[in-house]
Amino acid sequence: MSYNVKEEGNIATVYLDGEIDMDVTEKAKEVILPLVEAKKEVHLNLKDVQYMDSSGISVLIESHQKAMEVGTTVKLKEISKSVLKVIMMAKLEQVLNLD
Amino acid sequence: MDISVSKDFAVNSKSLKDVRDFAREIFDQSPVFSQQKDELVLAIAEAAQNIVKHAYKDISDTKDVMQIKISFKDNELKIGFYDKGKPANPENIKHRKLDDVKPGGLGTFFIKQIMDEVVFKEAAGWRNHLVLTKNFNHQQ
Repeated sequence: MSYNVKEEGNIATVYLDGEIDMDVTEKAKEVILPLVEAKKEVHLNLKDVQYMDSSGISVLIESHQKAMEVGTTVKLKEISKSVLKVIMMAKLEQVLNLD
Repeated sequence: MDISVSKDFAVNSKSLKDVRDFAREIFDQSPVFSQQKDELVLAIAEAAQNIVKHAYKDISDTKDVMQIKISFKDNELKIGFYDKGKPANPENIKHRKLDDVKPGGLGTFFIKQIMDEVVFKEAAGWRNHLVLTKNFNHQQ
């Protein structure tokens, strides 16, 4: 997994690329959670994420819940078909902020 | 087309990509799997992840391997997982309730959603032997 962060005003867009599994969840959290804790509105762009498993879904849930806790939001943008399939399998499409 | 392939993997999170590549290569061999290839790869990767995460919890730098055997015969797909980690207690392997939204606990749910049968069996020389089965008869 690789990533790229672009910040504009209070919006931080994190472009994730590759496969998100147990091996990279800590790295993903290290990128996303500090932005959330800084109360940025975080946009996770998932168009180049070809695979996400339950560990990746946990990162999305943790980020979303942390955002609610500190009073900001995490929005999922341009979700790839394969990631959307997993989000829907977990019945999280009504829980996470899908754009 | 019958398939019977097995491969050993190091028990660590870095192997999970290799596990997925192994599964994808096999499921690319027949159009039977094409509609459900991504889900099947996910189920296999989740089961392998459970070995790393639970059977080898707090055990790092092990030289043990986990073995994955994929076979397809008479339209039945069987995926066997073998490991020598801590004994799995099938009674304790439950997914969380979906409406109790929190990180974790989804891997087993995904496996059960995707596969028809998920059972632990005995296997000589191994501590845990998980078998996932999916029947493709109704999908022909």
